[in-house]
Amino acid sequence: MTRRLFAPLTLLLVLVFLIGPFLIIVAASFSAGDTLAFPPQGLSFKWILKVFTVESFRDSFVMSMFLAIGGTFAALIMGIPASYAMSRYRLPFSETVRTVVSAPIIVPGIIVGLALLRYFVVPIGVPITLALFLAHTALVLPYAVRVVSASLNNLRPDIEEAAVLLGSSRLGAFFRVVLPNIRGGILSAFILGFVTSFNQVPVSLFLSGPGVRTLPIDMLGYMEIVFDPSIAALSSLLAFLSIGIVFAAERFLGFSRYV
Amino acid sequence: MFQNRTEALALALPAAIFAALVFLVPVILLLSEGFRVADSWTFSAYADFFAQPLNRTVFLRTLKLGALVTLVAAIIGYAAAYAIVSLPAGTKGRMIGLVVLPLMISPVARTYAWIVILGRTGIVNHALMAVGLSDAPIRILFSETAVFIGLLQLFLPLMIISLVSALENLPKDVVPAARVLGANWLQVFWKIILPLTREGLVVGGTLVFTGSMTAYITPAILGGSKVLMLETLMYQQVTVANNFVAASVIAFILVVMSFAANILLKRIATARNRS
Amino acid sequence: MSDRFLALDKLSLAYGNTVAVRDLDLEIRKGELLALLGPSGCGKTTTMRSIAGLMTPVGGRIHLDGTDITRMPANKRAVGLVFQSYALFPHLSVFENVAFGLKLKGMRGTELETRVTNGLKSVGLSSFANRKTPELSGGQQQRVALARSMVMEPKVLLLDEPLSNLDARLRLEMRTELQRVQKESGVTMIFVTHDQVEALALADRIVVMKNGAIEQIGTPEAIYNHPVSAFVADFVGFENIFAVRHGRLVTAAGGVMLSGALPDVAGLAWRPRSVSLGSGPLSGTVRGVSFAGGTREYVLETPLGTIKAEVDAALPAHGLGQTVAFDLPVAGAASLRRFG
Ligand SMILES: Nc1ncnc2c1ncn2[C@@H]1O[C@H](COP(=O)(O)OP(=O)(O)OP(=O)(O)O)[C@@H](O)[C@H]1O
Ligand SMILES: [Mg+2]
Repeated sequence: MTRRLFAPLTLLLVLVFLIGPFLIIVAASFSAGDTLAFPPQGLSFKWILKVFTVESFRDSFVMSMFLAIGGTFAALIMGIPASYAMSRYRLPFSETVRTVVSAPIIVPGIIVGLALLRYFVVPIGVPITLALFLAHTALVLPYAVRVVSASLNNLRPDIEEAAVLLGSSRLGAFFRVVLPNIRGGILSAFILGFVTSFNQVPVSLFLSGPGVRTLPIDMLGYMEIVFDPSIAALSSLLAFLSIGIVFAAERFLGFSRYV
Repeated sequence: MFQNRTEALALALPAAIFAALVFLVPVILLLSEGFRVADSWTFSAYADFFAQPLNRTVFLRTLKLGALVTLVAAIIGYAAAYAIVSLPAGTKGRMIGLVVLPLMISPVARTYAWIVILGRTGIVNHALMAVGLSDAPIRILFSETAVFIGLLQLFLPLMIISLVSALENLPKDVVPAARVLGANWLQVFWKIILPLTREGLVVGGTLVFTGSMTAYITPAILGGSKVLMLETLMYQQVTVANNFVAASVIAFILVVMSFAANILLKRIATARNRS
Repeated sequence: MSDRFLALDKLSLAYGNTVAVRDLDLEIRKGELLALLGPSGCGKTTTMRSIAGLMTPVGGRIHLDGTDITRMPANKRAVGLVFQSYALFPHLSVFENVAFGLKLKGMRGTELETRVTNGLKSVGLSSFANRKTPELSGGQQQRVALARSMVMEPKVLLLDEPLSNLDARLRLEMRTELQRVQKESGVTMIFVTHDQVEALALADRIVVMKNGAIEQIGTPEAIYNHPVSAFVADFVGFENIFAVRHGRLVTAAGGVMLSGALPDVAGLAWRPRSVSLGSGPLSGTVRGVSFAGGTREYVLETPLGTIKAEVDAALPAHGLGQTVAFDLPVAGAASLRRFG
């Protein structure tokens, strides 16, 4: 009997361990007290509201949004044709191309960030914002290629030939029959890329300057100096944002099929 | 399969050139810095690096924490995954969803939660003092224990999902069959489950191990400068010591370990595709 | 001219360095229904794809209706192809699938409506116009694919194993349907199959392919009764096939003489039904018997090798292990000009 309970009990504890801390920061963000403590002293929305008034949070939020949306967009613009070439063409050096575009996922982000600082920002004078944009694009590219390739491989290649035989050009066939059928995959790639980029820390560590930093980096800096529940409040808000997006994606796209 | 090579290259090259220019070239240049001291090729930077006791400690601690987190994640992972696959289909899906959910939350937020829990005025200290086990707050943060807990929470989901898919592919009745033949639970695990799910374990283990080894946020928040790991040490070398050669040495170590793990994973994937 | 409505002249096709089809010559009449028959990998699909323009030949020419189309782009050829997988557009309805090509031609409004509706009617799918294609059964998908090609009024319609994904009953139904559509529209049609029954039942002429080359071209009767080689004989159901050398059958047990002089051929082949059982100069041991309704089929172990025979079920049965006399009558054999 005890043995039969062992596995379910472990699972329960695991869930508490994995999700409990998240619930605790949610609770902490409604604290009325001035320092971070648990159980929270009273209930208030003041920390939640305070998050919106901190100017650096607003700036870095905008920066992170820009990187996540712009970087993912750029990664898809390059990644979709590359995936198409790899899945539908006899591409020379196909394996090399695949390795190169998916390498950024293997190398730890901190190295990419430092490399860009050392060889782009310092010697050539590339602006930090541009370097961040390039780094986030490179980081998201492997995810874009992987997810889009998967949905291309799930689509019969002969429907493009059928479209061509019915009078369409090759390019026309791509837009008329391929694109509509991989839309779900592309949107999923976009969401995965967005969440990855938005939550990314190591890549951006060395790429910050006066007034230019991503939100997670800003949070790391803030929590070293100030010991109040506003980080908890911000964390909860961001977590709900991510969960909301992913939940909606799962609901409407069957996100997990693609990831 | 279209045959036109020019078209294929035109489609694939923008991404490849971008990744090569923005990623490959700068990273290779950075890694080469550790092999160039005073304009000649040498391993001396590596010798210097490992000559320092602090660096050795950090290197060994990173390996140790990586191994420990992987081991504990595997043990807990098996029990949790076993419980999940025994559930009816609908509940199973929801449980997997709950396990994966934390992966979507910012690691900064997830790690920060441990400050609330383990801090001086946190839950654990409250509880300890309330039941009288301790009369002053004890220090849990900025210890290897705190970093270990943070890493485990961060990477446990990866182990569980790897093991869930391995256990799902277990032939249907092997466990009851072994039980009928008189094996006890420990024997069933060692002789049946472990060998049959080895692949999933290696996949999950590799993900957890490399994830822990190359973690930045967790040691930064929960370890501080007391419990450095390779990435936080690298950050320090750059920002505090301005020592780019040492940073390059650390970068190289991290890259080698990540690539080794990746090759291992690829091997497993191709072996699986073949069978 | 009309004998050469579609002509392949010394057509050679390759994938990289692998040659799939070599020096193929074929002429097809307008309105003809031609079957391309052959084992897996013999180059049937490859040949079709080159006619459709999905593949550029490495040698030879293709003419269609008096025009050299060898290098003409696929979307300009007016060649229809029904894929083995149907290749329907999953995001479009049945109506939109059929309308796809017509719209690209610039057709709109009532004309489009009429053409598509007629197309769907001719394959019996009028009431399915608004369905999404993944919701259809295999046979229905097949019909949509057929209608989609037919409304384009192609000069040639190619079908790659159109029936192989259907179950036995549907296959029969679609076979009749195909034949009807072809006769009604008069379209020139080539269909690929590796099922000899299908080819014999449907085609005006059959082309048997082997290793990227044509082995025999002929009417169903000619192919069925007079295979030119052991390969074709085997393909159309001759189970007892022997080479002939110096007036003797070449067998496992050496040269065997038959009653009656052997013609000057490379080989002889008997269908099981042509083997006479019960009397004759040869004998073998029964190793297998199976009842097939009107007939009984025997597998005999003989000095010549394994012989398959089929006799009227009304005749008394021979049991397993019995020794039976039999004969291979030369008059009932097909003469093979080539052996191999
Ligand atoms: N994409 C390809 N790349 C390389 N070789 C190929 C390719 N497609 C076909 N082949 C080769 O070309 C030859 C002819 O293939 P084809 O598909 O035309 O055969 P088929 O007669 O249609 O066979 P099946 O009855 O199996 O469909 C085969 O030897 C095959 O291995
Ligand atoms: Mg084929």
